[in-house]
Amino acid sequence: MLISVLTAMAEQAVNRLLTLEPSLANDLQGAAHKVLALTLTDLNLSCALHYNGEYCFVYGHYHDDADCHITTSLDCLSELKDPSQLTRLIRSGKLDLDGDLHLAQLYSKAFANLNIDWAEHLSRYLGDAGAQHLVQQAKQCNARTQQHKKSYQQVLTQLCQDELNVTIHPLEMQQFKAQTRALSSQLAALEQRINALTD
Amino acid sequence: MKEENRDTTHFGYKTVESTQKESLVADVFHSVAAKYDIMNDFLSFGIHRLWKRQTVACAGVRKGHRVLDLAGGTGDLTAKFSQLVGDTGQVILGDINDSMLKVGRDKLRDLGLVNNIEYVQMNAQALPFPDNSLDVITIAFGLRNVTDKDEALRSMYRVLKPGGRLLVLEFSKTDNEALSKLYDFYSFNILPNVGKIVANDSESYRYLAESIRMHPDQETLKGMMEEAGFEQTSYQNFTGGIVALHRGFKY
Repeated sequence: MLISVLTAMAEQAVNRLLTLEPSLANDLQGAAHKVLALTLTDLNLSCALHYNGEYCFVYGHYHDDADCHITTSLDCLSELKDPSQLTRLIRSGKLDLDGDLHLAQLYSKAFANLNIDWAEHLSRYLGDAGAQHLVQQAKQCNARTQQHKKSYQQVLTQLCQDELNVTIHPLEMQQFKAQTRALSSQLAALEQRINALTD
Repeated sequence: MKEENRDTTHFGYKTVESTQKESLVADVFHSVAAKYDIMNDFLSFGIHRLWKRQTVACAGVRKGHRVLDLAGGTGDLTAKFSQLVGDTGQVILGDINDSMLKVGRDKLRDLGLVNNIEYVQMNAQALPFPDNSLDVITIAFGLRNVTDKDEALRSMYRVLKPGGRLLVLEFSKTDNEALSKLYDFYSFNILPNVGKIVANDSESYRYLAESIRMHPDQETLKGMMEEAGFEQTSYQNFTGGIVALHRGFKY
């Protein structure tokens, strides 16, 4: 039931976007009356998008035939935004695609190209100045959050590597790998010499 | 005795003559037609919309399909199917009750859905279509009101194309004891009273509660579908089994 609620909300959101951003409808014209199914292996969830040229239906628990069926994990989902990454993900085994690759690329491209002018849409309710101010504040807030996140990550990394010594520095890791490889080749050479002596 | 059993059927908890049931059910739906949608939302807390969403997801309706929304009432499923089949497809909203059909037709026309929908008053036991002529049939909250369910299922099987599917969305039986008690209390105490207050009709809503209890459970209905000829039959429970969606294919 939760999935039905979530897909209903997603359907409302996508269709709201279709009305707000006519470019999205144009980009999706090639997907009209085709079904794109998506299975997320880690959540054991299958859903599908069915665009009819005007309205997009979002189905939950979808187990029927689809024109394109993508099977991937939640981690890779964000990478699907870039159409050029699709083939790389398929080759690396992180994504399994069955059916029309073009349909997946079309959806990926359509949502990647989406550039919502929030200020324009909000101006109807808040006025031009209010909407502009709100959007600017939101952007600044987002930038600050990203900056804080980055700096906290750095502090945590330094703390773990230098102060608490619970993890090692990447350079130490590289050095360790190089030494291990050297030791491995020395052992292989030694093994060959022993074999030669015993034969 | 056998003769007597064959000529009687259930109408809620009452046993009535088979020939009477259609007109009794018709009276119920003539009575509730005008407030059917609002009562559905009110009594199911809007959850019926989620059950119907999942039915659409399982229907596999595509462009060009010919779909029958049987006992379609006020056309909730027809509205979705009409958008999915496109200009080359067709949706038939079928109901035995002309009051419900009229409400459905007005509602769908107000939504601007006019191009690919036909409205046909029909009896599920004798569908007025040639053999192998439909891609998908749905019957949502209608099968329990049909006098002879086996005959209706056979009729649906006959008109479906090979590869076509039937979806039956209907109230069913819950295994959860606590939920079952709560549901019984709601059905027999709250539901008729709400029906009386909102629609000024407690009897129709008492019939609703009783007819749900007399409807076959999930496994029995699955078996009935298989007997009618359907293959790959399966069902999924919604809201703890209060409602179940059965699906079967004709090959």
